[in-house]
Amino acid sequence: MHPPDRRQVCVAALALAVAAPAAAAFGFDELMAVLAQRQSGEAKFAEQRFVSVLDQPLNYTGTLSFKAPDRLVRTTLTPRQESFVVEGNQITLQRGERVRHLALDSMPELAALVAALRGTLSGDGSTLRHYFKPTVDGAAARWTLKLVPLDFRLLGVVRSVRIDGFQADVRMVELELADGDRSVTMIEPIAPSRARSATP
Amino acid sequence: MTRAPVSRRGWIAVVSWLVALAAGAVVIAHTRFSADLSAFLPAAPDARQRALVEQLKSGVAARTLLIGIRGGDATQRAAASRALAERLRADPAFEQVLNGDFTAFAAVGRWVFDHRYQLSPAVDARRFGAEGLREAIDDTLSLLGTPAGAVIKPLLERDPTGEAQRIAESAVPSGGPQAQDGIWVSRDGQRALLMAHSHAEGGDLDAQAHAIAVIGDAFSAVAASGLELQLSGAPKFAVDSRAQIQSETRTLAIAGTALMGSLLLIAFASLPALAAAMLPVATGIVAGVAAVSLVFGGVHGATLGFGTTLIGEAVDYAIYYLIQARGSTVPGQGWRRWVQDGWPTVRLGLLTSVCGFLALAFSGFPGLAQLGVFSIAGLVAAALTTRYLLPVWLPDGTRGMGLRRQLGHGAALIMRTLPRLRHGLTALGVAALLLLLWRHDTLWQTELSSLSPVSAEALALDAQLRDELLAGDERTMVAVTGSDAQAVLQTVEAVGQRLDALVQSGQLAGYDAISRWVPSLATQQRRRAALPDAATLQGNLAQATAGGPLNANRLGPFVQDVQRAREAPAITPASVAGSPVATIAAALLVRGTDGSSTALLPVVRAPGPAGEGAQAAIEQALRGIDAAQVFNVGEELRRLYRHYIGEAQGQALLGALGVVLLMALWLRSWPRLLAVCKPLLLAVLLTMAGFAALGVPLGILHLVGLLLVVAVGSNYSLFLDWLRHQERSDEDTLASLLLANVTIVLSFGLIAASAIPALSAIGLVVAPGALLALLLSAAYAAPSSTRSAARSP
Repeated sequence: MHPPDRRQVCVAALALAVAAPAAAAFGFDELMAVLAQRQSGEAKFAEQRFVSVLDQPLNYTGTLSFKAPDRLVRTTLTPRQESFVVEGNQITLQRGERVRHLALDSMPELAALVAALRGTLSGDGSTLRHYFKPTVDGAAARWTLKLVPLDFRLLGVVRSVRIDGFQADVRMVELELADGDRSVTMIEPIAPSRARSATP
Repeated sequence: MTRAPVSRRGWIAVVSWLVALAAGAVVIAHTRFSADLSAFLPAAPDARQRALVEQLKSGVAARTLLIGIRGGDATQRAAASRALAERLRADPAFEQVLNGDFTAFAAVGRWVFDHRYQLSPAVDARRFGAEGLREAIDDTLSLLGTPAGAVIKPLLERDPTGEAQRIAESAVPSGGPQAQDGIWVSRDGQRALLMAHSHAEGGDLDAQAHAIAVIGDAFSAVAASGLELQLSGAPKFAVDSRAQIQSETRTLAIAGTALMGSLLLIAFASLPALAAAMLPVATGIVAGVAAVSLVFGGVHGATLGFGTTLIGEAVDYAIYYLIQARGSTVPGQGWRRWVQDGWPTVRLGLLTSVCGFLALAFSGFPGLAQLGVFSIAGLVAAALTTRYLLPVWLPDGTRGMGLRRQLGHGAALIMRTLPRLRHGLTALGVAALLLLLWRHDTLWQTELSSLSPVSAEALALDAQLRDELLAGDERTMVAVTGSDAQAVLQTVEAVGQRLDALVQSGQLAGYDAISRWVPSLATQQRRRAALPDAATLQGNLAQATAGGPLNANRLGPFVQDVQRAREAPAITPASVAGSPVATIAAALLVRGTDGSSTALLPVVRAPGPAGEGAQAAIEQALRGIDAAQVFNVGEELRRLYRHYIGEAQGQALLGALGVVLLMALWLRSWPRLLAVCKPLLLAVLLTMAGFAALGVPLGILHLVGLLLVVAVGSNYSLFLDWLRHQERSDEDTLASLLLANVTIVLSFGLIAASAIPALSAIGLVVAPGALLALLLSAAYAAPSSTRSAARSP
């Protein structure tokens, strides 16, 4: 996997690794505690999807924003403008002129994915544990959270979710689907304090 | 005592009675008895309301059962939901069973997929040009690599433009029930939810009762212990109400008969007299049922129940005869005296009652109209039986003494005492009138549900299940009516475009429309014209996919499907009849009996503040589309009810006017007319004021009760007036009045205790009203208190 902004990620990683205090015995609860410090954030993203029936990967870029406890916005800028806003149980999808409003809990697969993202971003361990079996690798400075669905139905669609991060920043989300398709999203925070360091 | 031989007249009476009874029995044997609640839904005046009432009677809602499963844990509930749904789907009683598991709807999905180029709102000329194809394919591909992709991927080669997705998007309401483990659960997660549509019409209560029993049996067969089944919905209410009406009317009939029987037995101390007193009532019931059957082609169970109570007045006739025909100096000639003295008054009382019930017979509520006809036929038959049959059997009335003397004394006492209270009573009447004027705006009920026998508890469960399953507000609808089905479909499409804007802006969560399943021919024609031939499509595809991730070579099946769609026959309301979407279409497009079509678009408001004022927004949006009307089912029913209670009030007033007119014609004296009417008016005023003082609003059935008070009371007041002008105090007549009154008050007191609100309403009015009517008639009957006292023996 060679996402286009790998170099940027490395720069940011270095900057953060220096700043981070060394932590012993870093587990799920410790990770949640670190993540819970962050109340809101903005980031750019670049997503690549590898789909079996297609000749080439699908590429999407745009911005992400999160505001605790439950507002998550994904705005796709390329190849086409599109937005996905989830707040509480309400989803609003906009593509071109068309807007759709949906109830999150009427779509269990989506609800689980949103829970994975919101739970991670807000450090809500109990929500994550409700849907997934979590395992954590690494340390606060650089961690990997792996989420495997508990529900067999969900498992029939999503094999696993892998989230990489530095401190309270989520930097990569990898979604592995049951049919072997994959989606990898690289995330680059644009929060004011770090915006400069992350931009080459 | 020797019996006089039965005269020729007597034979004629007996034979005619037997013939009439036999004819009645034959009619009744062929009568269809119904028991749904539709009798208390009005025959609506305009097309839109007809469509509404039609929907309430036989629409999908009328055959939808809402099912909840509580208790146990989530896994047990989910397993029970699946197993129950599987069993019910296999049962011929059900057309459709929904539990959130849409694998069971493969047939609908396949039908929609096969017709996607006729149904998709996205199909237009641009869509199949190179640019349109590129955008559509991009949209579809954007779902791949996400969990939603699993559904899209297998269909990609046939549907790269995502038409099936587009149709599903618009058809699935945004606020569906919450799904967990693939089945619907309540928002609190404590209840699994299902919906079952029966095959049978909502009005077919036997079939509905069967469907409910099937659900209960299936549930007990599959559910783990500790799980509890909850059932609600219109069919459940109707079936329960029928059972309740049946058991209540049976109990009341038995208890009422026993009560009246023992009263009469104590009063007359004679079994033949008791049998004779029951004869007119029984004849009246037979005549009533037969008449309703002949006029309406069927009898509602409630009519039977209520009507039997209404002709309780008939027992009075027998009482009057049995007591008043006594004491003849020549044995066997007592009836002659009664025919001369008592009968004209009974006859007048009968006519006034008929006059009152005639008002009901013209009511817009089929149930009330049946009551009117039942009562008229029943009273006439009872009066005729009393007049012509009882003299043959008991020419001198009853022989037993029983309590007759005590009754006479009691009545005389009342006659002596009450006139002294006259001024006080008049003052009370004025106070009552003032109270009624003061409370005039809260005096009448505005809810149709006041007629419904459904308990508050059952309604609360229904509201909960409905709220979860149907996103709370399925009661706002747009109706489009027209004589031509295609014109209606086109209007629905125009309405749909405007509603789409409200869905986009978030005011509506969604709506359903027949045009999603059966587009107008014009729209289908336009869509078909947008589909290019194979060569053009292939050229456009090559251009659209050039350099993209999807290879055009894979899309052969798409090109084939588009070509097939160009040849496909049009979808019409008739062609969907046998298809998997038949149920859906039937709920959205209703064919009227007059050949007109009404499309209903149920609208789901957005949850929370966004959805407030949705109805006004819809009205605003639909301005200019004259054939479309927005209505809220609950409000519409209230409006309808207000209309009918207004109509019933008018009819009651007309009936009362008729009563007064009749009495005026008979009495031919203004002072006497006033003397007769005053106690009746006061009785009605005091009864109404009693309700107002207790804060109980009056409904249509209270009005029926008031009519009955006037009908029964007019007998008292006419008899007392007659007595006064006989210049004598006839203790027998007084005794008969008192006995008649006691039976009425007690039997309606019994009815007042009924658990069926409609029945108890009548009882609550008639029992005190009739008592008041007698007491007030007594108070105002004697010329004056002093002279009356002096005259009394």
